[in-house]
Amino acid sequence: MPTTEIEFKAEVSTPLLQEVMERSGQDLNACYQCRRCAAGCPVGDVTGVTPDRLIRMIVLGDKEGAMNNKLVWQCVACYTCGTRCPNNIHTARITEALKQMVKEAHLKPLSPKIANFHSSFLTSTSHFGRMNELEFMGMYEFRNAKDELRGGGGLKAIIEELKNQAQLGKSMMKLKRMHFGMEKIKGMSEVKRLFKKGTEK
Amino acid sequence: MEIAYYPGCSLHASSALYDIQCREVLGRLGVDLKEIRDWNCCGATSAAKTNDFLSMALPARNLGIADASGYAEMVIPCASCYSRTLLAQKTLESDKDLREKINVELSAKVQGKIRLLSILDLLVEQSKSGAIGSKASMKLEGLKPACYYGCLQTRYPMDIQLPDSIENPQGMEIVCEALGAKAIDWGYKTDCCGASASVNDGDVSLKLMSNITRDAVGRGANCLVTTCPMCQMNMDAYQNAAGEKFGINERLPVYFITELIGVSMGISAVELQLDRHFVEATALLRGLKLL
Repeated sequence: MPTTEIEFKAEVSTPLLQEVMERSGQDLNACYQCRRCAAGCPVGDVTGVTPDRLIRMIVLGDKEGAMNNKLVWQCVACYTCGTRCPNNIHTARITEALKQMVKEAHLKPLSPKIANFHSSFLTSTSHFGRMNELEFMGMYEFRNAKDELRGGGGLKAIIEELKNQAQLGKSMMKLKRMHFGMEKIKGMSEVKRLFKKGTEK
Repeated sequence: MEIAYYPGCSLHASSALYDIQCREVLGRLGVDLKEIRDWNCCGATSAAKTNDFLSMALPARNLGIADASGYAEMVIPCASCYSRTLLAQKTLESDKDLREKINVELSAKVQGKIRLLSILDLLVEQSKSGAIGSKASMKLEGLKPACYYGCLQTRYPMDIQLPDSIENPQGMEIVCEALGAKAIDWGYKTDCCGASASVNDGDVSLKLMSNITRDAVGRGANCLVTTCPMCQMNMDAYQNAAGEKFGINERLPVYFITELIGVSMGISAVELQLDRHFVEATALLRGLKLL
């Protein structure tokens, strides 16, 4: 796959590198492009961007590219890259940081569907203290549908998605693996305070 | 012996069978699981992808509750919950500021006392001591499991001392040996199934899952066995779709490690909820006269 040259932007590189390194706790400067990470990344060939390339983008100051590539969103946090890296750079922590930076900058994520999944999971937890699968999935599908209508795959994509989920839901009900109860913890005030602390700036 | 127990959200929902199996199987091994009071969701991988503070604070609340429980150890069967909780414990050990920032909101504060155990920590110990072997009245002959660890059982985004090899773990193999089952050697033990991608990034996930199944089938496994409820759900619920899309005709039942121990102990299929699998899981065992 032909790669494009990344232009070095010194004035962007320093603050970007600092922010990513601080948030992720990873020393991106230690990367010497050996690509052990790239060989083990399960989504590398789908995203076209492997962990080493993402690090390179950040180091050289390609902020646009770093926040807007498929790896940031499709990284499944399998942690293979970090455990194999000879310099202990856990790139999954970098993609986690970048996801949050995109969110905080109010930018449109490259994959709204994936972003909605994770934010719905956390929102659902903030309601009950525990993640109730039906409430979470309902919220996720609702947010997803809104994004598809606003310029994603449209009504067709929504119907396709709901069809698939309904099929899975039916099997789960038949196998008695669908949980209908709503569990709520007593210590909600503590959880709400933690959420408030986590989301205030 | 009583130990603290954190089931996590999945074991109270779509993987409730794992919760039941853990209690029953461990109970018969003399380990009484005491669920900690009023635990909250650990945040799983989603918290880490959305909000760094909450990814530490949510499991921290559970650590505080565990520290106050009076038990020395806590077992967490879900690989994801165990991973996130251990990460929080390690991080809070060294990051005093973060610990203070979280503790000030909690009534049961994190003290760093509780010793966290994964399900394999417990089961491997019980295998090595001979406890499982002596209770395993029915040896699982004919069962050829491919032990599937997935990602979170052995890999962490920080330097953590773990009891097992990262690239070629043996924990489940040791348990299988104690049960008289011959686990196969295979190449996709720790390969990612895609996790949440099965819902939010379907094509990627189906491909990853098919790679795993194909290798297991190719090496003569007649089932998969796992410790992670996400892996079990994925490899079970989507195996048909992945098989159809990528031309794999065989279907392998996906057992929790506790199911195999339960069968070996003579616990009934109904009690183990063996009938709640997407890929039918009782026929293989009945065919081998194990059920």
